[in-house]
Amino acid sequence: MKLKNVLASAMCGVLLLPAATMADVLEVTLHYAGPESGSAWKGVQQGVDEANLQGQFLGQNYQIKVVNPDEIDAIDDITVLLMATDEETMLHVARHERMSEVAVFNLTSGADALREACQPNLLSTMISDSMKHDALGQWQERNPDTPVSAQAWHEDFEKFAARQLNTRFSRSHGIPMDDQAWAGWAASKMVTDSIARTQNLDSSDMLTYLKTEIAFDGQKGDGMTFREDGQLRQIVLLINEANEIAAEAPLRGVSGGLDSLGQNNSCQ
Amino acid sequence: MKLTHLLTSSMIMLSTAVWADPTHRLFASNERDNTVSVIDTRTGEVEATIDIGQRPRGIGLSPDQSTLYVAISDDNAIATVNVKTLEVGPRLVSGDEPEAFDVAPNGNIYLSNEDDATASVIDVVNNEIIAVIPVGIEPEGVAVSPDGSIAAVTSESSNMVHIIETEGHTVIANILVGARPRGLQFNSDGSLLYSTSEISNEVQIIDTSSYTIIKRVGLDSIENSRPMEIAVSPDDSIIYVTTGRGNSVAVMDATTLELLDNIPVGNRVWGMALSRDGSTLYTANGVSGTISVVDTQARKELKQIEVGAFPWGVTLDD
Repeated sequence: MKLKNVLASAMCGVLLLPAATMADVLEVTLHYAGPESGSAWKGVQQGVDEANLQGQFLGQNYQIKVVNPDEIDAIDDITVLLMATDEETMLHVARHERMSEVAVFNLTSGADALREACQPNLLSTMISDSMKHDALGQWQERNPDTPVSAQAWHEDFEKFAARQLNTRFSRSHGIPMDDQAWAGWAASKMVTDSIARTQNLDSSDMLTYLKTEIAFDGQKGDGMTFREDGQLRQIVLLINEANEIAAEAPLRGVSGGLDSLGQNNSCQ
Repeated sequence: MKLTHLLTSSMIMLSTAVWADPTHRLFASNERDNTVSVIDTRTGEVEATIDIGQRPRGIGLSPDQSTLYVAISDDNAIATVNVKTLEVGPRLVSGDEPEAFDVAPNGNIYLSNEDDATASVIDVVNNEIIAVIPVGIEPEGVAVSPDGSIAAVTSESSNMVHIIETEGHTVIANILVGARPRGLQFNSDGSLLYSTSEISNEVQIIDTSSYTIIKRVGLDSIENSRPMEIAVSPDDSIIYVTTGRGNSVAVMDATTLELLDNIPVGNRVWGMALSRDGSTLYTANGVSGTISVVDTQARKELKQIEVGAFPWGVTLDD
């Protein structure tokens, strides 16, 4: 009983936090194009919910605005666009004149063509097909008789505080976090982390910050950075037939680190 | 006058009585085998292994050093052990998933509840949670200032150091620090608060009069460094920082944060305890399953002592 009382008063206390008065709060809109259901959408929501918890202390308030990729001209102020559509639409939108100085995130497509395009404002948090291919190659070279599949994320992943992220996501959404959910969470988390630091909603500054300044804590190990072609460097998980994590690629001893996985398109 | 003298001398006697006979025991929480290893630091031998509860992590002593506290995360409790007899005592409440904690001068325990984005305050005498304070996501490191007036808590995923005033248990400041903040430690007069950030690989100094970062330095020269816990030398001149997968202890100037030395220890080093006189440092090496004994004068590891599986933290009764 006593504990309940304490918890109840602590929850009331959230409303009384002295962090920021209304006038101080920075109102932020993240634009999103894609289905309002499914993993990527839930991942974006998770990232925004977490940012709003941080924002209670630091004075930011975030909301998601869903936009139609056919009506890009109608968008007024925009800081970033998160996309969970097919890859042709992503590339088309990223090349739209209106978006030339806006970071467009690919949350769902592994298509290597999106990376080979070297579109300077297109950033992929989803792993590419060639990253999966190389991860599988590293595994098969050492374990030719044991089949595995390659994934960006797994519900049983625990290292690097992945366990805590899995717990938060499944508590909120009732389903395990998967590749697209992680990619959606990661994009919204890195954007909101950046805004908390820079207090700047200018899209061009944000694009530069994401490509040059950030070492993102994606709860997958070292600080994460983007390749020249817009692909987010990250480990790839190898999953066996029993749906268990067999290994993390790059496998130990492979040279090149994270850049041993996937293409490294030079975009000069 | 006489009464004052009498009081003073009796207080000295009292404090002597408390510390006259330390056990010289080092306690290590072994996260993966649910035990606490007890090392006699005079012999360097493990003298006992105590079954403590599920997933022991945070570890510390009561102000009079008579009771050992161990956060047993998966049992949602604080285990207690009599430091002299090594008998396991009654458990204390903790809220969900207690991880790290610090003991205030008045005996209250301030702890982080990892999965609930809260810090809890435990009244040890009444075995009662007296406050639950909302903080950022994945709260981790906790430190109470030497005078007990403020407590600091890091939130790993929200990248903040929260300052809580202990009288009303309200958050009075939130400091945005480098990615994945971990450990915290005050200097001896509480004017400075040191913090580490694992992913941005930084050590920061926070001024506790303005609650602003006055110095931040990266540990890029240490391969695979992921700064974790901090210990401050008794004269406040040096800080020691465990570097996680860097498998070392960084020795830094406490004012300039200049890296003075880097002492190799065991693998994935997290927790740390410094002897009262500052001469010996003990580190918990998770992957190695050992405790390193480090001579701080020579800045050299003297030996490693095998303990249980994945030692997380250490505390010393000296």
